[in-house]
Amino acid sequence: MLSLFIVSGLGVLAMLAEIFKFKKYVFPIVLGGLIGALGALYMEWQTPKSYALFDNMIVFDKMALAFSGVIIVTAFFWFIFANDYFEEESNVVDHTALVLFALTGALMLTAFKNMTTLFLGVEIMSIPLYVLAASKKRYLASNEAGFKYLIMGSFASGFLLFGIALIYGATGSFDIAEIRQYLTDNAGTVPSFFIAGVVMMLVAMLFKVSAAPFHFWAPDVYQGAPTVITALMSTIVKTAAFIAILKLFMIGFSGAATVWSGVLAAVIALSLIIANFTAAVQSNVKRMLAYSSISHAAFMLMVVLANVRSNASVSGILYYSLAYSIGSIAAFTVFYNVSRNGNETVEGFNGLAKRNPLLAACMTVAMLSLAGIPVTSGFFAKYFVFTTLIGTEYKWLLILAVLTSAVGVYYYFKIIIAMYFKNAETTEPVFFETSNKLVVIITTLITLIIGFIPDVITGLFVY
Amino acid sequence: MVKLVGLVPLFPLIGFLINGFFGKKLSKGLSGTIASVAVLASFVVSLLLFFDAQHLPGHKAEVSLFGWISADTLDIPFEFLIDPLSSWFLLIITGIGFLIHVYSTGYMHDDEGFQRFFTYLNLFVFFMLLLVLGNNYLIMFVGWEGVGLCSYLLIGFWFKNTDYNNAAKKAFIINRIGDLGFLLGIILIFISFGSITYGQVFEKAGIVNESVITTIALLLFIGAMGKSAQIPLYTWLPDAMAGPTPVSALIHAATMVTAGIYMIVRSNVFYSISEVAAEVVAIVGVATALFAATIGLLQNDIKKILAYSTVSQLGLMFLGLGVGAYSSSVFHVTTHAFFKALLFLGAGSVIHAMGGEQDIRKMGGLKGKIKVTFITMFIGTIAISGIPPFSGFFSKDEILAHVYEHSPVLWFFGMVTSMLTAFYMFRMLYVTFWGTFRGTHEQAHHLHESPSSMTIPLIVLAALSVIGGALGLPEFWGMPNWMHHHLDPILYRKSVSMLSHETEWMLMGLAVVAAAAIIFFAHQLFVKNRVLPEANEAKLKPWQKLIANKYYVDEFYTAIIQKPLDMIALAFHKFFEIQLIDGIVNGVGNSVKGIGSVIRLVQNGNIGMYIISMVLGIILIFLTLFIL
Repeated sequence: MLSLFIVSGLGVLAMLAEIFKFKKYVFPIVLGGLIGALGALYMEWQTPKSYALFDNMIVFDKMALAFSGVIIVTAFFWFIFANDYFEEESNVVDHTALVLFALTGALMLTAFKNMTTLFLGVEIMSIPLYVLAASKKRYLASNEAGFKYLIMGSFASGFLLFGIALIYGATGSFDIAEIRQYLTDNAGTVPSFFIAGVVMMLVAMLFKVSAAPFHFWAPDVYQGAPTVITALMSTIVKTAAFIAILKLFMIGFSGAATVWSGVLAAVIALSLIIANFTAAVQSNVKRMLAYSSISHAAFMLMVVLANVRSNASVSGILYYSLAYSIGSIAAFTVFYNVSRNGNETVEGFNGLAKRNPLLAACMTVAMLSLAGIPVTSGFFAKYFVFTTLIGTEYKWLLILAVLTSAVGVYYYFKIIIAMYFKNAETTEPVFFETSNKLVVIITTLITLIIGFIPDVITGLFVY
Repeated sequence: MVKLVGLVPLFPLIGFLINGFFGKKLSKGLSGTIASVAVLASFVVSLLLFFDAQHLPGHKAEVSLFGWISADTLDIPFEFLIDPLSSWFLLIITGIGFLIHVYSTGYMHDDEGFQRFFTYLNLFVFFMLLLVLGNNYLIMFVGWEGVGLCSYLLIGFWFKNTDYNNAAKKAFIINRIGDLGFLLGIILIFISFGSITYGQVFEKAGIVNESVITTIALLLFIGAMGKSAQIPLYTWLPDAMAGPTPVSALIHAATMVTAGIYMIVRSNVFYSISEVAAEVVAIVGVATALFAATIGLLQNDIKKILAYSTVSQLGLMFLGLGVGAYSSSVFHVTTHAFFKALLFLGAGSVIHAMGGEQDIRKMGGLKGKIKVTFITMFIGTIAISGIPPFSGFFSKDEILAHVYEHSPVLWFFGMVTSMLTAFYMFRMLYVTFWGTFRGTHEQAHHLHESPSSMTIPLIVLAALSVIGGALGLPEFWGMPNWMHHHLDPILYRKSVSMLSHETEWMLMGLAVVAAAAIIFFAHQLFVKNRVLPEANEAKLKPWQKLIANKYYVDEFYTAIIQKPLDMIALAFHKFFEIQLIDGIVNGVGNSVKGIGSVIRLVQNGNIGMYIISMVLGIILIFLTLFIL
């Protein structure tokens, strides 16, 4: 709860920096603030009670605190990695503030208990991102990305709002616990507009995590937006939107699973196929990572589909989101530095092993993790998802997931092959800022450590 | 005290890690010292353990190190077992291992792979200790595979030579056949007994169906055939001589190849219950002993002679096991470790003096030039030939006495084997050390005695070869047979000699007279008449040619196994691999790309198109939910 205040306070503070002329200190203040927010999370974690705000509209329970932790840790690394993005642009503070506000929205999504706060969270998170996607003002692609994102995003928001309205009409409540109660009380007699509402909310939220067939914005936006913003979108935003789905469907609409589980299964299957198959033919790494993020979203959605509220499923998904976010941050950081010369294709990685062996090794770990090869955390992430799903009727989806993961191995390994077996035109070392090096090394270590000892994450709390 | 058992394999492991990771940075002296001291430390702990084990209740102790594998009903702890058998093997491995390490510091001194050599050697000792220390079959198997790996690495130590690499591969592949048998045996033990811990298995052995026991015993014996080079899996051992000579001494004579003996003595319950299996062991043993001894007659490579001699002696040990003379076989393992290590190291010293020459036809007259080597090798040769009171006499005689009791026919073949042994060993000795020097002028000039790091181990081993017989003096002499009593606690069925003293005296006398006669004959042939092994193969008589070419067994295996396998493999390669599998794989890959490029077309950047697809998706969902 405190962390939410700290992050939003940091956003306001960043805006004041322009006026009171302490622009130089914004970056350290933000990092310090994020550490403070993490500390606040830790303190709240130690006390057994939940923190409720605004008449139960936002409730920080253990689950919310844990996922907030994932988001803030990711944000912390992201800020270090992205620091020179802020320096390049003229209006540092605006961008910092926008990112912090998006982060505020993300934190709200981990803790919402009410559909109003859900909507607010989604919007608070999305609106800064529309701007950020377009933040490279002189680049057409960036403008196009922002514009597309805005149009498609508003479209989805419309669905979300409409869905909320329909559900409110049926249940007379915005509170997800009460909706849950409504479903148990009226099992079998729910009106069809309630079901329509559920479907519309599902579609809207699937849009936010860019699941197929609502994913069309993602490749264009990811490619057009500045790389650091793409990294932000594919890690923090994705995690937050995913948690919102998890809470909404596993808690709120769990009783109506017959309605949405078929749709969700189809969406997951479609996402797995489209994402992996299309990623395999991409030559632009950013676009490839965009499709890879769709595939990972599909994996995470499988836990929602299993609709099992257990310790294993929740801590499994916590593990997945952390493993995925950390692995992606490492991959994006390396990619960002490799593509400084403007070459965003796989060839940009050629011979990296000779030019910068350490970072090539880190990138390899990140790719192995995203592909789900053992000892890296990505393996256990997938393993936990599979163990959750294996007890359900969707075993066919499991088989599909394994098969498409095999396709995934192909495109992740393309980068590894490029780094180790192809020769670069130059042998000059790639320039890496020390801060970026640190991010890559630390995230790689985290990937390996939680891969060796998954218990540090899965043993965190009992759901 | 027994709690310290973990230290025994730990020291060589540490030595391995130090040499493996930092070897390149260490000087040769330091690297060799670390490796030798590691094994010496193990030896000291083993010695303490050995004496301590005498006072243990039931003469044994199980030391649990950590839980290892636990899944469902399968629970395998990582446990070590200290008992009369394992503590005795520990002494052989670390004691002789240490001597050979010291010898290697001299022998390998000019080799560029010096540190690598000691890395492998320490690793070998570690795995060998694991093999004998484990309290269940799985740990034995881990050690078993580990020593196999080290054997492979050391045979191919000079990996720039293709022949050596092929020899290494051959050893590895042939051992795999045996290992498969061993593994199946372990699995069958687990299925039949629900455990693979020795104690739990052996106490239930009496109540399990005898045919199951026979199957287990035979499967385990297949493992032993591979590791201990018995017919039909013996062909790798002579080729394994490609490795550096200390390796031949340690791995391919004194320790690793006796792992099969260890395994069968450890599992003696099975062979005591299943007479069929015991009979098979005895027959394979005697056949191998005789067969290898005949090949030894006409070999000209000093190491090959010793290699065939090792195969033959191992066969003799299996013969002993087959007739239930377990303690006699362990006794022979011990004395054989002394004199065969000595002979190999001596051969190494000769090769060292000859500047790498291994063909005895190019040696001759060396006895005055390299005295220490000559005297120690002479002792070793007498020991292996069965002349009293040298160690080999006692152990071999004990085995043969038991065999006679079991079956005079087997005894006869055993006797012939030991006569052949005496002949080819003295042939090697006479041709190498007597007569005139037949090498090149440079070699003659270069001849020198080896450094003391090499001769001291030779002297120690020679002393052991002389007095080693004291470990198992014949009981009918009214002497205590220490080995016999030592191993009694681990044997399921104690063997008691039923022979009359007169018969035993007669057998012993016969053996000595025969050996003496053979040696005299060899002396006449090679020293008096100066007959030299024929250098020109074309002039060999047909039977000589057959033997000199090792009965064409390798060619036979090539023709009936390797060639057909190659042909099948080629057919599979051409049809299944290239056409079918590659076809499928490439087909899948291409279709992934194909599908990908089709889907990609939808992603055309047109936002109207995107929204339409979204709307169509939503309409589809509503249609399926509400109308269908």
